[in-house]
Amino acid sequence: MSGLDAASLAILGVVATLVSVLAWRRTRATTVDFFLAGRQVGMLTNAGAICGDYLSAASFLGVAAAVYASGVDGVWYATGFAAGFVPVLLFVAAPLRRLGSVSLPDFLAVRFGSDHVRLAAVVAVELVILSYLVPQAVGSGLTWELLVGEGIAGLSPYATGIVVSTVAVSGIVIIGGMRGTTWNQALQFGFLLAVVVWLAALLWAGGFSYPQAVEQASAAPLQAVVGDEVVEVVDRLDGGSATFGEPGARYGPVGQLALLVTLVLGTAGLPHVMNRYFTAASGAAARTTTVWVIGLAGSFYALAVMLGTAARVLVAERADEPWLADLTVDGVLRVPEHALLVLGRLLADTPGMAIVAAAAFAAMVSTIGGLLLAASASFGHDVVARILRPHGGPREPVRAGQAAVIVVSVVAAFLALIVEPSQLLATFPSLIATMVTWAFALAGSALTPVVLLGIWWPDATARGAVAGVWTGGAVAVGALLVGLVTGADPSDGIGAVLLAPALVAAPISALTIVVVSRLDPAPGASVAVWTRMHGTAHERQMERLARVTLRDRR
Amino acid sequence: MGEPRPTSGSANHDGLDEFDAPAEVAASARTQRRIALAYGLLFAIGVFAAPALSLTLPWWSGARLAGGMSPGFVVAAGGLYAFFLALGVAAASLARSVEVRMLGTSDEEDPLP
Repeated sequence: MSGLDAASLAILGVVATLVSVLAWRRTRATTVDFFLAGRQVGMLTNAGAICGDYLSAASFLGVAAAVYASGVDGVWYATGFAAGFVPVLLFVAAPLRRLGSVSLPDFLAVRFGSDHVRLAAVVAVELVILSYLVPQAVGSGLTWELLVGEGIAGLSPYATGIVVSTVAVSGIVIIGGMRGTTWNQALQFGFLLAVVVWLAALLWAGGFSYPQAVEQASAAPLQAVVGDEVVEVVDRLDGGSATFGEPGARYGPVGQLALLVTLVLGTAGLPHVMNRYFTAASGAAARTTTVWVIGLAGSFYALAVMLGTAARVLVAERADEPWLADLTVDGVLRVPEHALLVLGRLLADTPGMAIVAAAAFAAMVSTIGGLLLAASASFGHDVVARILRPHGGPREPVRAGQAAVIVVSVVAAFLALIVEPSQLLATFPSLIATMVTWAFALAGSALTPVVLLGIWWPDATARGAVAGVWTGGAVAVGALLVGLVTGADPSDGIGAVLLAPALVAAPISALTIVVVSRLDPAPGASVAVWTRMHGTAHERQMERLARVTLRDRR
Repeated sequence: MGEPRPTSGSANHDGLDEFDAPAEVAASARTQRRIALAYGLLFAIGVFAAPALSLTLPWWSGARLAGGMSPGFVVAAGGLYAFFLALGVAAASLARSVEVRMLGTSDEEDPLP
């Protein structure tokens, strides 16, 4: 590791720690303060924090990797990730905030008036969090392996990256709570956006032409490294060889549909992202925040796609540079996730790679922070405060949540250590993005249907909700396990559905909720809950108070 | 859409001065749902039309608008993000205006300027 690499990571760590300590000094040990930052997060700060939460290693390294590996077929990852916030805006953001809960399970428990719903949702939430945490940890390991190349205390470089990121983020979350995590996520997203804008500016300053790069990348058949050999990527649509600029390098028709549906539906069920909406000041603010998120995330993904394209061309052109020899075979990267890091070095030498690596760590750290906080809230608030110790003191849920952070991060790190990225890369050319898709599939199957029907269908009952969560979750987990165990082809046909199962599991879950609710003699939503979720009385009251305050000051 | 189940007690939120009449909220929620579904349909058409065109219309992937960029590439790599933002701004603005018009009409007249 060069001094510059060490400095960039050290600066990142110091800033994150300072922000967390500052937040800790302003945080009281109460549920609303620790888990929700006092519900007073501004719209732009919250939009930045949501982007920081959402733009993980899968987005920062994975989108460029997917484009590098699969051309236009890889672009659909970026499109799906960005598209996911449109349904959130249309169907979820404002009602979710207006019910005024602490976590996604809490929201569902209040809407359905049932702790059975709460428990089912907690199980689903913890599963989603774990399956989302593992690829982040894998990303940390891969980045450390490339950047540092050395292990600590006898660990391999890959294992060291996992352990360092896990320990660091756990500490940041335990110290800073939601307030510290929010500030860190907003700052880290600003850093990510600045880095991709900077890389794009360097490209343009060097005479880069996006249309010509696509033409150049499409001139020859698309190639990939399998083992130690370069092979031509097969066109899934027409047979023959795939090209960069045309569809078919990665997906057949079913594969593309399954991926898009999974990413679009999954976002509304991601607990770490949805929990952020509870920190907004009002339902209207939550909605406006989502518009900002769509704009910011769209800008980020458009640039990430361009950088993946640039990497495809520039790496091939400069593959004879000695430092690239170990990373490439005949001008093609062995690990597509290295595309952005290598591009950083190609454009700005060693400092460029150090800055991109620091941004990659920032992406992982901010997402891991959000995930751990969501795990903490669902355990501390939903399990301990609401079920196990309903009459406990105000500090108990916070302490239980902090303990949950440690347990969940250790389990995720352990699972990431078991994963062998080199063995999986042959089947899944952009591994991190693929693994995150599995988390989206679980969220979109188990949680999104119940969230949507709970918000918009007053006849949905608690029994229907519980049945929907279990059914959607079981179908998704079962499909993923069958797909992974049988080595299903993720590109098309039944394999694509098994490995991105929301296409089937979400409708089954929704149908289960409808059928069970129809058969259930119990009533649906109460007027009080419905009025709170879809009304604006509280927000009007806040506006009136603000006007009174302003008038009195005059 | 069914109706929420009646409960005893007031729907007044947190005992504040402002309140929402349940009938107003039910009507507003139905309107919001129609708006969300209409925009959702537009969104789905936009998102799924692009890959569908690439499978059915050779020109979509084969033509070149600039350099090596086909219409399909331009839409996937940039156009759809602009579409999402435009859709989001329009939907948020309409939803807000529905809330303002349909909710709070039962409040006492606001004496403040």
